[in-house]
Amino acid sequence: MNDLIRTLVEAYGPSGSEDRVRDLIRPMVEPFVDETIVDAMGNLIAIKRASGKATSPLKVMIAAHMDEIGVMVSHITEKGFLRFTNIGGVFPHTLSGGRVRFADGTVGVIGSDALEDMGSIHPLNKYFIDVGATSRENCPVRVGDAAHFDRSFEARGRHLTAKSMDDRIGCAIAIEALRQLPDVTDHDLYFVFSVQEEVGTRGAEVAANRILPDISIALDVTRTGDVPESRPMDVRLGGGPAIKVRDSGMIAHPGLVRLMRRRAEEAGITYQLEVLEHGTTDARSMQLAGPGSAAGCISIPCRYIHTPSETVDVEDVTGCVDLLVAMLSKGIEL
Amino acid sequence: METFALLKKLTEAPGPTGNESGIAAVVEELWRPFVDQIVADRAGSLAGIKYGSGPDERPRPSILLAAHQDELGLMVSHIIEYDGNGFLRVLGLGGVDRRQLLGQVAVVHGLRPLTGVLGVLPDSYLPAKKRGQSVTWDDLVLDVGLPFDQLRTLVSVGDFVTFRQPLRQLQNGRVTGKALDNRASITAVTICLEQLQGRQHLWDVVAVATSQEEETYLGAYTSAYSRRPDAAIVIDVTHAKGPGANESELNELGGGPVLDIGVNVHPGLYKALRDAAKAIEMTVQTGVHGRASGTDAYAVQVSREGIPTGLVSIPLRYMHTMVETADLVDIERTGRLLAEVIARLDDTFLSGIKEELMRPRNNAKPMKD
Repeated sequence: MNDLIRTLVEAYGPSGSEDRVRDLIRPMVEPFVDETIVDAMGNLIAIKRASGKATSPLKVMIAAHMDEIGVMVSHITEKGFLRFTNIGGVFPHTLSGGRVRFADGTVGVIGSDALEDMGSIHPLNKYFIDVGATSRENCPVRVGDAAHFDRSFEARGRHLTAKSMDDRIGCAIAIEALRQLPDVTDHDLYFVFSVQEEVGTRGAEVAANRILPDISIALDVTRTGDVPESRPMDVRLGGGPAIKVRDSGMIAHPGLVRLMRRRAEEAGITYQLEVLEHGTTDARSMQLAGPGSAAGCISIPCRYIHTPSETVDVEDVTGCVDLLVAMLSKGIEL
Repeated sequence: METFALLKKLTEAPGPTGNESGIAAVVEELWRPFVDQIVADRAGSLAGIKYGSGPDERPRPSILLAAHQDELGLMVSHIIEYDGNGFLRVLGLGGVDRRQLLGQVAVVHGLRPLTGVLGVLPDSYLPAKKRGQSVTWDDLVLDVGLPFDQLRTLVSVGDFVTFRQPLRQLQNGRVTGKALDNRASITAVTICLEQLQGRQHLWDVVAVATSQEEETYLGAYTSAYSRRPDAAIVIDVTHAKGPGANESELNELGGGPVLDIGVNVHPGLYKALRDAAKAIEMTVQTGVHGRASGTDAYAVQVSREGIPTGLVSIPLRYMHTMVETADLVDIERTGRLLAEVIARLDDTFLSGIKEELMRPRNNAKPMKD
């Protein structure tokens, strides 16, 4: 599975520019589904229909987002330096010494205005990107161009580190689950590889409005409380898939949480329960769409979220695949 | 049922945002005698539908009455051990005011309900910089009295917690307790449904006790979508005047229902409520919203193609605390006003409110110098 993960996490795809990730995923999932659709916003919707014998199949939407955080150029100085804004939750303290890469391969290094007090952190607008240009005219980048953080994938034993585990690891889990699912299932499964999650769960919103799912499951990362002096959080790396109970954008359907726990217990999957103070996922949009769906999230425990070194545990990842497959290959009654 | 008893039954039922099944069962029991159909949905809302007497041939128009049934609560975020004893760390559900958590009695909805207390070290025992401060989530513990090993078998991270606080009578028709936000409004809707038993109304009435208003307006979004009403009235609570309050913005406790006008409200519904109050000579007050109202009206208004929405608010002191205080008269009047406005709905109502929206407001008198 590491090869699949490496391919996905190293791809370029800041929010709004997910086409390359989509082009990678589409051929991977096509053999396992009945139909694929790319909608107006760029979501990839892969549909695996219930068997003809299924009585009253439910519509189940599974969402993993293709986009990653990044930066967008807002101004180019006369000397050819780029000022930029954030795409999604970019924290200034993660920037110094970093590198970014634009769609055309141009690499930039991140610098900042002089810091008077070494104990403080600049706001985002005091940072700039240096692509080696010396003037506006010879700068290869334009205002509005997006870049992602440039960092290679590393497998370090059980720990896997990359710039975009959030949420290519969710995409990898969805793909692997599609490979493992039986040919015949009881429900209509809509695997959505969504766009623009990092800027407000936007892609999942329109996909859910199209599908009007009965049941929704997001696959996304969640933070852990297992590093030195971290904010308390009862999720740790290596503790197994985290079944979300709530985050700051939604409260999971209690019946769906119960079913996930039961399926995990039946399949012998060690799991954790997640209560997240800040942040949300595509499940929020899916819960609110149309008449509402019973929404939940299988979360992948992840350290250093929204930094170039997002780190997950490979056993947690396979646990998430197992749990998703267990959920989808049996009947769903809430 | 007498209003205090009704409100007591409703406010004391558990129904934290995200798990409204406890309160929904109580609402269902109260509404069932008054409606033709009860529908519970997967978003956690409960709808009671009372058919109108208008002709069956074409779909009868319908009015949505939306009042949220969820209340503030807590959720277990950690189970910790201290000397073999078990303690729970919690986080708020909805806009919990942390300053008032200390000393509360709560119920943890684990494998079985467990009564516990919210405690913290005495102020005099705290390090100097923490004295006199509001308690933080990191310091607060919920103690049910069990050893750690036993606690862990009964309670999970993610279990819901509700507050235990009986409804009590103060002087002068004032009542105090938890969850008057928004069970006061559910009480008013119940009174309305009861009043409609003896009255003719042409439109279908869809009363919905909505879910998760305190977090995402989930129930309002999803109920308005699935019920697709022709018009809606949202019923919620509003801050009442009291010492320290901004006199010019707030309304009187006991001064009658507050009819809201502002960005989430259709002027036609506002006028209909005002006209109905005038017809029965009811004292009402006015609430003005220059911004989003912070109620289900925010979500209902933009559902589907847009739903003409009105907002009635019941004045409340000490909102989002365990001593929310209301006046029974305001609640009863709100119920009667809703029944009156519904009984007055006819075939011309929808075309009439369109005119109300388009009417130029050019009748202002010139100011004297």
